Amino acid sequence: MGLQALFFYIFAFVAVASAFMVISARNPVHSVLFLILTFFNAAGLFLLTGAEFLAMILLVVYVGAVAVLFLFVVMMLDVDFAELRAGVLDYAPVGALVGLVLVAELILVLAGNWVTPEAAGSGASPIPPLAERTNTAALGDILYTDYIYFFQIAGLVLLVAMIGAIVLTLKHRTDIKRQDISKQVARTPETGVKVVKVKPGQGI
Amino acid sequence: MEIGLSHYLTVSAILFTLGVFGIFLNRKNVIIILMSVELILLAVNINMVAFSMELNDLVGQVFALFILTVAAAEAAIGLAILVVFYRNRGSIAVEDVNMMKG
Amino acid sequence: MTELLGNYVPIAIFIGIALVIGLALLIAPFAVAYKAPDSEKLSAYECGFNAFDDARMKFDIRFYLVSILFIIFDLEVAFLFPWAVSFSDVGWIGFWSMMAFLGVLTIGFIYEWKKGALEWE
Repeated sequence: MGLQALFFYIFAFVAVASAFMVISARNPVHSVLFLILTFFNAAGLFLLTGAEFLAMILLVVYVGAVAVLFLFVVMMLDVDFAELRAGVLDYAPVGALVGLVLVAELILVLAGNWVTPEAAGSGASPIPPLAERTNTAALGDILYTDYIYFFQIAGLVLLVAMIGAIVLTLKHRTDIKRQDISKQVARTPETGVKVVKVKPGQGI
Repeated sequence: MEIGLSHYLTVSAILFTLGVFGIFLNRKNVIIILMSVELILLAVNINMVAFSMELNDLVGQVFALFILTVAAAEAAIGLAILVVFYRNRGSIAVEDVNMMKG
Repeated sequence: MTELLGNYVPIAIFIGIALVIGLALLIAPFAVAYKAPDSEKLSAYECGFNAFDDARMKFDIRFYLVSILFIIFDLEVAFLFPWAVSFSDVGWIGFWSMMAFLGVLTIGFIYEWKKGALEWE
């Protein structure tokens, strides 16, 4: 158990420290890289709680896709980030005050030992013992049947995101010539050549 | 010391607050604001998973999965809007986002 | 819980060794390498010319669209994993709910195909 506590403190400390670097790094590229580090350590925390599947999905989806998307956008925009950082400390005292109050409240409320032990296991779908059912299989058992509406809504959210991204960013360029191979192949002498009788002195 | 619910909740509270603080700190830079929102959603996910462990209830993990889905879709659309805005205005400063029709 | 985490001990050891090796290779040059920098050596070298402009350039928005579509399908695949693992236990409801999910995303895929979002031009 001592090892588990050690890993918890490593993951938690690195996650918090790199989250701080995300918001305070000078260069947005560094921010994205620290965001990746935060996600890695959060995945470690998930693993320690036994949420094996979520930890791996966090790595695959966030580190593999979302963080890379952020990196793309930072690289794609040619922005003077130094100018955007000007006056960065103007609102820092207010922000720090709000943040301190918020974290004090959250820790006071959440870390108070008020969760009754009897509540454990009385939920709608208790976690089966690991020997019987792995975490992934246990999730699969309830995700597609008991939570079918949420699952379908998730599908719709993804559909909307896909269509929205295409509508927003796709612009067909009209100033370039495109090759349409099927049109080229379907060309016959009849359609390719047009015989025109030209009256003298008029042209076409 | 035994690692329990309160440890996870403390970590997630700190991450949440760092996210909020990040919005204050980088209020000009939309990209960092979006990253801060990701941090906030990550904190929420840690809460969900920690309570799932404490209450021995799988529903927390199911909903953490849905939060993950929505957060990824949000990041994708948010960045798409950011890119289109940049293409139209040549800037990503929040102060320039003040016209309904550009 | 402990038996689950026991499975991950090799990964932790692996990451630890990788960290040690990586950091050692990163730090060793500072300690042992011969250094005599001057401004000419440190400046960017571009085939005998002075550098024309910044190395960071804007790149095309189509890369972005491809990676956004990748995220969507990545999540779709993430939902497929638990379904595949507990396929024999979810029954017909589970089967058809996944088929409906895939159907919805196939609509999106057809839309994307017809719009030409996958074409590079």
